[in-house]
Amino acid sequence: MNVSSAVVRACALVKTHGQGQSRVRAVDEVDLEVPQGQMLAVMGPSGCGKSTVLHLLGGLERPTDGELWVAGRRIDTLSERALARMRRRSVGFVFQAFHLVEELSAAENVELPALLAGRSRRQAGRRASLLLERVGLAGRARHLPSQLSGGQRQRVAIARALANDPLVVLADEPTGNLDTAATLDVLRIFEDLRSAGQTLVIVTHDERVAATADRLVSMRDGMFVDDTWLAGSRTRGLGGLIGLGE
Amino acid sequence: MGSVVLVVRLVLADVRRHKVQAAMLLLAVTVATATMALGLSLRGVSDALYAQTRAATAGPDMVALSGMTDPDVTAALAALADDPEVVAHHGPYRIVYADLTTRDSTSSPVVVQGFAETPGTVNRPLVTSGQWVRSGGTVLERGFATALGVGAGDHVTIAGRSYPVVGIAVTAATPVYPWATQIGPYGGPGDYSGLAWMTSSDARTLASSHDLPVTLALDLKLRDPAGTEAFLDAHRSATLRVNFHTWQFTAKQDLVILKDSQPILVVGSWLLGFLAITGVAALAAGRAAEQTRRAGLLKAVGATPGLIAAVLLTEFLALALAGDALGLMIARETLPAVASPTASRIGAAGLTGGTVAAATVLAVVVAVLSALRPTLRAMRTATVTALTATARQPRHRPWLTALSALLPTPLLLGLRLTARRPGRAVLQACSTATTLIAIVALLTLYAQPERGYGLDGSSVLPNLRGVHDRRLMVAITVLLIALAVVNTLTFTWTTAIEARANMAIARTLGATPGQISAGLSVAQLLPALPGAVIGVPLGLGLLSLFAAGNWELPSSLWLLGAALATLLATAALTALPAHLAARRPVAQTLSAETA
Amino acid sequence: MQDAVLAMLAKEPSHGYHLRARLQQSLGPLGESMNPGQIYVTLTRLEKAGLVVCERADGLPERPERKVYALTPAGQQRVAAWLAEVGWPKPDLAEFHLKLAAAAAARLADPIELVAAQRRELLRRLREVQQAALAEPAGTGAGLLLEGVVLRLRADLRWLEACERAWSKADDEVEDG
Repeated sequence: MNVSSAVVRACALVKTHGQGQSRVRAVDEVDLEVPQGQMLAVMGPSGCGKSTVLHLLGGLERPTDGELWVAGRRIDTLSERALARMRRRSVGFVFQAFHLVEELSAAENVELPALLAGRSRRQAGRRASLLLERVGLAGRARHLPSQLSGGQRQRVAIARALANDPLVVLADEPTGNLDTAATLDVLRIFEDLRSAGQTLVIVTHDERVAATADRLVSMRDGMFVDDTWLAGSRTRGLGGLIGLGE
Repeated sequence: MGSVVLVVRLVLADVRRHKVQAAMLLLAVTVATATMALGLSLRGVSDALYAQTRAATAGPDMVALSGMTDPDVTAALAALADDPEVVAHHGPYRIVYADLTTRDSTSSPVVVQGFAETPGTVNRPLVTSGQWVRSGGTVLERGFATALGVGAGDHVTIAGRSYPVVGIAVTAATPVYPWATQIGPYGGPGDYSGLAWMTSSDARTLASSHDLPVTLALDLKLRDPAGTEAFLDAHRSATLRVNFHTWQFTAKQDLVILKDSQPILVVGSWLLGFLAITGVAALAAGRAAEQTRRAGLLKAVGATPGLIAAVLLTEFLALALAGDALGLMIARETLPAVASPTASRIGAAGLTGGTVAAATVLAVVVAVLSALRPTLRAMRTATVTALTATARQPRHRPWLTALSALLPTPLLLGLRLTARRPGRAVLQACSTATTLIAIVALLTLYAQPERGYGLDGSSVLPNLRGVHDRRLMVAITVLLIALAVVNTLTFTWTTAIEARANMAIARTLGATPGQISAGLSVAQLLPALPGAVIGVPLGLGLLSLFAAGNWELPSSLWLLGAALATLLATAALTALPAHLAARRPVAQTLSAETA
Repeated sequence: MQDAVLAMLAKEPSHGYHLRARLQQSLGPLGESMNPGQIYVTLTRLEKAGLVVCERADGLPERPERKVYALTPAGQQRVAAWLAEVGWPKPDLAEFHLKLAAAAAARLADPIELVAAQRRELLRRLREVQQAALAEPAGTGAGLLLEGVVLRLRADLRWLEACERAWSKADDEVEDG
């Protein structure tokens, strides 16, 4: 794989929590490369370290050891401030708990990263209405998060993650709090993003979310134990799945 | 550019969402800064009003006074008038010591000054209503007239004879009411008295007909008004009993009436500021988890730690500065009334730059101190931890838990709640202590014996200084108590909100709502108890720093009563929020916690 | 398949091509792989079994050979029996379970590897169904069917996870012991 085309690259990434006896290796020498345009899912049981990997990739946490590049730039050595800037330019986060600013409207939440990046209010506003339309919430721009359903909130969060046209969107259990219909809405948006060439890393324990990805990495006890390419290999056809055509 | 919009937007949104906290910070800062600005302005305003009165009335630079009327005194006064340093003079004129009785038989000592019907170039009292003296009529000094409740057109009896009050005037030659005497009869000490003017001949008649004591006075205008001390040194004489009152002395004498007002206001503003900080800090601490979570998510979308701090600090600072502006406005409006409790001076006064700066510093300190902890916490907490932040887990204190197990349920719950948040317990204790300091000061002020301004110290004419001090102290105490009440409500409510999961669990284990709300009340009362115990001696100690040597202590019964009343009030205040919190259905609380 | 076709004829006699269209509508993308002639094969079988009768109808000039199928009384009885039936397809897990046990016992293959391979296969299937489900507009009958398939596959995947955990533990014990 061509190194330069990797949006995210991790080498022997280690993250330990705690001290002395209670020291836990949450991430244990993980290597990872995510090329431009790939949709990668990381799956594993809770506590396997998959969320920590995502936090490391987005610079929310610092690795204990190893090297980490985002967009060809090494980030494990950056200052807190520089990490914040890297996040606002290159990374969009989507969380299980949505994490919208409760007192700001949907549109204002989406404008947030653009304003942080120093765009003018008008530019940010235009971008926000575009993105809200893209996630099918054009009519809800002025609603507060408390006035939206869980699925709608998550769609606002996705729009917010896209505000600065990030190189990679990192999603942590994006459907963990959603019902089936809302999950499908979110997955449709991801599918949409993927076909538009957006790089995505999704951490999930929902097989259905994982199955939308091009590639699936399985994690156990802080390590990657399986790396499967899901895209492109067509099976016997859908009918076979319900016993038709046999 | 974008981040400015963002900070403003976040601050506005947060204020909209947390109106109570915003209003509380605004109010507390307004009260504290207004009080401080008033306290710091008193001296300057008093000086400014004196200067304006002096300019309007051609106030003398110096008044020479002698209780003797023998020829060598007259000669000496005449010689003073001829001194080359003296550019103009007025007098010598008589000052007659008499009694004045109004129609509703209020009596007061009065000094009657004999003036020409057409005033000269020095010491031209400014007539504020009616007209200047004419034969048979008297003009009263405005501060005196106001205290008596007499206006132009009324009649007063001076030394047994009725005079029509033809006018009301002010002068800068004497200090404010009730210190118009300057010197007493025969050069002795003077009593509180008012000032009246008559024509020179009426004054002479008054003195001679009743054989009243007379002082001779001479108003001098010097070439160099600032050179009064040098002039004094040159003319001090061991043989002649002549007293000199410089205009600086008179200006300073004006301040006597404000002597206790200043510490009351300044110390009051510190206490108010302190209560503001405790209250707002407690509210902010109650929201710490929420603030931290918000900081976390802002960081996740790329906000730098600096921006996070800016959002939190801007909110507190903006509110505090708004409160500061409001407080300064209030101070400016109330300033004349507070700085000039008598009507003896004219003019207007504003706040000086220094006062504005000091009040603003107070506001900023309140804002920064209340915002400090949440800001530091939000900045320090790792982003990932912040995103999942819940209220800080209290430390486990096994011995307390073991001890409280032996107690009745409400005490047990209360003790455990107090132990959960020792910081808040300290704040509650401080809040109670502050309230008691104010109440003790108020009680002490009321316990002081006081000489009225009426005849022989009668309180027919109340002691303006005492009235003024008590009025200010009552205002400060009321404000302090109001803030303390809000604080107690806040503390109880915050404790109830934070402890609701535990309380719900206690309910599932069989505790009644009554026991829960009693527990919440006890949690506030426990720290209030040492607060009350410390508050009384602290209040007395603080008073001894400012009060004159011999002051009367309020009776210990009163002090004990005040402490008990404070505790009872605390108990009553905590009952309502505790009751509301305890009534919340258990299932709802438990399901909300897991959601 | 046969029962479903019979049940579709219960409402009224119908043409073969019409039956096929209705089937495909219900199945959505899952019916795409259905052989065009399959419906006629089924109908012929049903006719032989005496469950349907075929009548030649007056067709249009350009398509003269039009057959209309209708239920016989025996067919109607069969439909009623089918509706009352509560049989359910049995998940065939025993085979895979035995495969793992045999592989481990004879050291033919690593059971964990087998699980992983099986998992990959199921995930690919899930992905396909998932994509079909996403493409399906919300609220159609086919969407509901796809949801069912997704849920079945998820259940299977979870069982594979349980298998993996169990076999890794067995592995560890062997190594430790």
